Amino acid sequence: MSQKALSRFHQPISVPGRRLLSHLPLVFVTKKVSGGGHKSVNHEIPLIPFIDFLLCIVLFLLASFSASGELPIDKSVRLPSADNVEDMTQAPMIAVAGQMILVDGIPAGTTRPVKEANRMQKLDELFNLLKGRREVYKQINPGKEFHGIAVLQVDRETEAVIVKSVFQTAALAGYPNVSFMVKSRGGGKKKG
Amino acid sequence: MAGIDVGGHGGRRNVDHQIPLIPFIDFLLCLVSFLLMTAVWTQMSRINADARVPGPPDPDKELDEQKKDLTLHVEMRGEEKFQLVWKEGNTVRDTIDVPRKPVRLTGDDFSYPDLSQKITEQWNSQGSHRADSDLKVDQAVLHTDNTTKFEDIIAVIDSIYAPQRPIKLGGAEKTIPAFNVTFAVD
Repeated sequence: MSQKALSRFHQPISVPGRRLLSHLPLVFVTKKVSGGGHKSVNHEIPLIPFIDFLLCIVLFLLASFSASGELPIDKSVRLPSADNVEDMTQAPMIAVAGQMILVDGIPAGTTRPVKEANRMQKLDELFNLLKGRREVYKQINPGKEFHGIAVLQVDRETEAVIVKSVFQTAALAGYPNVSFMVKSRGGGKKKG
Repeated sequence: MAGIDVGGHGGRRNVDHQIPLIPFIDFLLCLVSFLLMTAVWTQMSRINADARVPGPPDPDKELDEQKKDLTLHVEMRGEEKFQLVWKEGNTVRDTIDVPRKPVRLTGDDFSYPDLSQKITEQWNSQGSHRADSDLKVDQAVLHTDNTTKFEDIIAVIDSIYAPQRPIKLGGAEKTIPAFNVTFAVD
């Protein structure tokens, strides 16, 4: 069917093109809208590179998604910051949140006895839980070296007697390599 | 010219589909927005402390074998100053006072740059393990009182880790802290 024949009918879908203000019978407006001899302001996004670009962003974000920042931090715990830090490692997380002591989210006693006595002492519940974990690791991985790493997540206002008690208890339970979780200021030399 | 027939014959469904581009781009943009919103920009790290300290001298070994290393004791119980004490066993070799001058950083953060500098100087002059082939590190012992706040302890440990040294491990060279920190039991 020819174009002339088609034009007799109302067509809901028309050929794409510039429509804005084209009906105005003013030459200078039409000229302006169509570019007026200058470079056209109406650009089309090249779709294929655009999709490639989006896919690259998605892949990058997905790759960095499971970074160490995903670590669960109690809302009440305000961590101190430091320059000379190491990357986080896979290890049991001992959190001191208020008076509660948690190992990977599991309650492991309170800091009340230490606070009341105001002297460093072994925390029995924490000791038993950590010792149990160490034994389970050794049973699951026979012959494999146990590194004895634990990470302490402690609020910046916590008193040293509590920190030292938890530190000592972890060491006694077979975790002598204790790290403190901090926020990196990025000023020092970060070690892998 | 020959071509590959991708279906559409024999009443079967056509296998040649086109991805609808606009919904696909919308989907990608949603995915990007979600990942950007859930991205964690604060980097969590750790600062190490070690309870594995060298034990008491072994009476069965020769005295020469038991040559003791100098240990740096950092006394942070004073209000006005830190005290750096170099000890060889129980014998005090040197004592240095460092004024306690915290420098405020952003927010509640602070550091002790004077202490970092003094510890670096001290390690450069008296550290026992400075060769890059030496796998051992010097020991620092931190003395605190019971009421010291954790942020203060971390600031001092951070200063103790300021001196760094190269080490050769399996042909590759890397940088490690010059000291290993532990807590005093007193």
